[in-house]
Amino acid sequence: MGGEGLSLSELVVERGGRSVLDGLTLSVPAGHIYALLGGNGAGKSTALFATLGLLPVVSGQVLVDGKDPASQPDAARASVAYLPETVALYEHLTARENVDYFLSLAGQSCTKAQIEEAFAQVRLDPAAQDQRLGAFSKGMRQKTAIALALLRRTPVLLLDEPTTGLDPQATQDFHALLLDLKASDVAILMVTHDLLGAVAVADTIGLIIDGKLASEWQAQGANRRFDLQALYGAFTHARVGHAAA
Amino acid sequence: MRRVCLIAWAELALMVRSRVALIGVIALLLLSTIAAATSYAHMAQERLGRIANQTETDALFEAQPARHPHRMVHYGSYVYRPIGTLAGFDPGIDPFSGTTLYLEGHRQNSATISAVRENSSLMRFGQLTPAFVLQTLAPLLLIFLGFSMITRERTRGSLRLLLSSGVTARDIILGKTLALGSVGLVAIAPAWLTLVLMAIVMPSEAGAAAMVGLGYGLYMLIWVVGIIATSALARSGQAALLVLIGIWCFIAVVAPRGAAELANRLEPLESRAATDLTIQAELRQLGDSHNPDDPFFAAFKARTLAHYGVTKVEDLPFNFRGAVSAEGEALTSRLFAMHFAELATTQRAQSNIVANLSIFSPALAVRRVSMAGAGTDLETHLRFLQQSEAHRFAMVQYLNGLHRNRLSLADDAARSKDPQAEKRTRIGATNWAKVPDFVFKPTSAADRLSAAITPILILALWLGATVILAGWSGRVLAGRAL
Repeated sequence: MGGEGLSLSELVVERGGRSVLDGLTLSVPAGHIYALLGGNGAGKSTALFATLGLLPVVSGQVLVDGKDPASQPDAARASVAYLPETVALYEHLTARENVDYFLSLAGQSCTKAQIEEAFAQVRLDPAAQDQRLGAFSKGMRQKTAIALALLRRTPVLLLDEPTTGLDPQATQDFHALLLDLKASDVAILMVTHDLLGAVAVADTIGLIIDGKLASEWQAQGANRRFDLQALYGAFTHARVGHAAA
Repeated sequence: MRRVCLIAWAELALMVRSRVALIGVIALLLLSTIAAATSYAHMAQERLGRIANQTETDALFEAQPARHPHRMVHYGSYVYRPIGTLAGFDPGIDPFSGTTLYLEGHRQNSATISAVRENSSLMRFGQLTPAFVLQTLAPLLLIFLGFSMITRERTRGSLRLLLSSGVTARDIILGKTLALGSVGLVAIAPAWLTLVLMAIVMPSEAGAAAMVGLGYGLYMLIWVVGIIATSALARSGQAALLVLIGIWCFIAVVAPRGAAELANRLEPLESRAATDLTIQAELRQLGDSHNPDDPFFAAFKARTLAHYGVTKVEDLPFNFRGAVSAEGEALTSRLFAMHFAELATTQRAQSNIVANLSIFSPALAVRRVSMAGAGTDLETHLRFLQQSEAHRFAMVQYLNGLHRNRLSLADDAARSKDPQAEKRTRIGATNWAKVPDFVFKPTSAADRLSAAITPILILALWLGATVILAGWSGRVLAGRAL
C-alpha cells in the first residue's frame, strides 16, 4: 500500500479548557506498527481523535499520509481507517450490508468477492456474513469492523483498544491480521492498555503520560524483542503515578 | 448527495427492520388513509343530504295550501349551507357553527344543526379528518420515529465512525431529514391523493386544493427538520423526546386552544341569548307593529296617509296592515343587520388575534390555510349568515307584499269573525313557488387563495427558522462527536 505514514508533531489539544495533549510527537512510517500505551486520561484516544480531525488542534501538526486533517479534512479522512474501541456498526444491518454501507460512505466500492475475501481473512464464518450484527458476539463484531478496515485499503489504520473483550484465540487472530496489514505497508497506530498485546505486534511502543510522550521503545534484534521488564516497570510506574496524581 | 441518500437508506432500513417503527409508520398510513376515505365519503353523503333536505324543504314550502301570507311568514323555511368539495378534508368550524338556518318573519335565528350537537360528545375531542391527522397525530408519530435518529448515533459511537468515514455533520443532518421526510411523505400521501381527487371532481377547486396541499407539505417539513435539529442538539435521546413532546403539546394542543381562549378574553363575544334580549329590548323601544297605538307606527300611519292624500287607512290603495308588516320587518331587519355587523366585527377581531398568534404556532397557520382553502372558515360562515338574512328578508317582504297588495283591508280586519272574509284572505299556493330559492354564493376560489397567502408565508418563515436551527445543530453536532 505504501505512503507517507502518520506523524504527529508537537501536538497540543485542549478539551474543556484543559490541555490533554501537550506537545505530543510521534511518527508511524508505512509498514510499521506503533503501540501507544498509557493510563486512563493520559491522552491516547485524544491523539486518535485529533488524527481523525474530530478535535481542533491548538498547535502542532498532524500529517496523515502527508495530508493535514485541519486543512484537508476530506483527503486526510480518505487516507485513514478507524477501528473504535466499541464497535459501532449498525445492529440492524447484516455484516455485509455494514461493510458495504461504510465503504460507500467513504466513497469506495468493492466487489462481492473482495468483501468475501476480507471476511475470510478475518475468519468470519460465511454463514454469519448475511446475519444482522444484533446477533453477533463482540468478537464477531470486531472481525466485521476489521474486515471493513481492511477493505478501506487506507495507508493509515487507527485502532482504539482493539483487543478489549476478545478471547485469547480471537486476540491471536487479530494480531496475525495486523502483521498481514503491516506487510502491506500500512502504517498502524494502536492505542491500548494491553502491554503484552503491544509487545506481540508493535515495532515501536510509546508511553504517553499527561499528554506527552514520556518514553519510546523500539523492537530490537531479528526477533523484534522488547525489554519487557523495563516496559512493565515504566508502564506500571506511569499508571501508579497517574492514579496518585 | 450520494452520502445523504445512503444515510437515509440506513435509517429507513432500521425503521423497516425494527417492528415498532414499522408498526408506527403503518399505523400513521392507515390513520391517514382511513381519515381521508371516511371524510371524503361522509362529506359526499352530507352534501347529497343537504341538497335533498333543501329540495324537500322548498317543496314543502311550495306545497303549502292557500293561506294568509302572514301565516306563511311565520311558517318560514329552512336554508342549508351547501358543502364545498374540500370541506371533507377539513370541516373547520362547521361542526361547531352550524350549517342550517330556520328563516321566519320578525326573528333572526342562529345557525343550527351542527355535527357537535347532533353527534356524541366524542366529537368534541376532534373528528378523524385528514386535517386532524396531519395537524395533530402525524407530528406526534414523527417525533416518536425521529427523536433519537441522531442522539442514537452519538450515544452508540457510530457518529465517530461516520465522521471518520468522510461524512460531514451536514450530510448526517440531511440524510436523517430525508429519511424522516420520507415517513412524513407516507403520512401526507393519502391526504394529497384525496386533494387531487377532489380537484379532479371539481376543477375550479384545484387552486385551493394545491394551496392546502402546499400548506400541509410545509407543516410536515417544519416538523421533520425541527425534530432532526432537536435530535442533533440534544445530549440524549430522552432529553430530545422530552423537549419535542413539550413542543408538540404547545404547538398542536395548547396554542390552538389557548389562542382561542385569549381571543375570547380580549374580544369577548356576547352570548346569543344576551344578544336576543338586547334586540328585543331595542325592538320594544323602536316600535311594535302589532300595537295600533305605538308611536312609531302611528307616525308611519300619518306619513302614509299624508303621502296618499287620504284621511283613513281604508282609503289607501293597498292593505295598510300589509304595509305595516313590511315596515316592521324593515325596521327589525335593520336592527338585525346592525347586531350582525357587531357580531361579525367581534368574531373577525377574534379571528385576527388567533391569526396573529400563528407566528407562535405553525399549527395555527396551517389551520388557517386549511380552513380558508376548504371554505370552512369564519368568513364562509359569516357569508352564509349574511346571505341567509338577505334571503329571509326578501322572502318575508315578498309575502308582506302579497299581504299589502293582494288582500283587502276590510277582509283582513274581519277574518277572525267572518269565515267568508277569512277565506278571501287566503291566496293561492302558486304564490309560494314564486319565493326565490336560496342560492349560497361561497367565497370565490381567488379570495380563498388570497386568504391563505399570509399563513403560507408564516409557514415558510417557520420552515426557514427550523432550517437555520438545523444548520446550527450541524455545527454543534460536529463538535459533540466525542
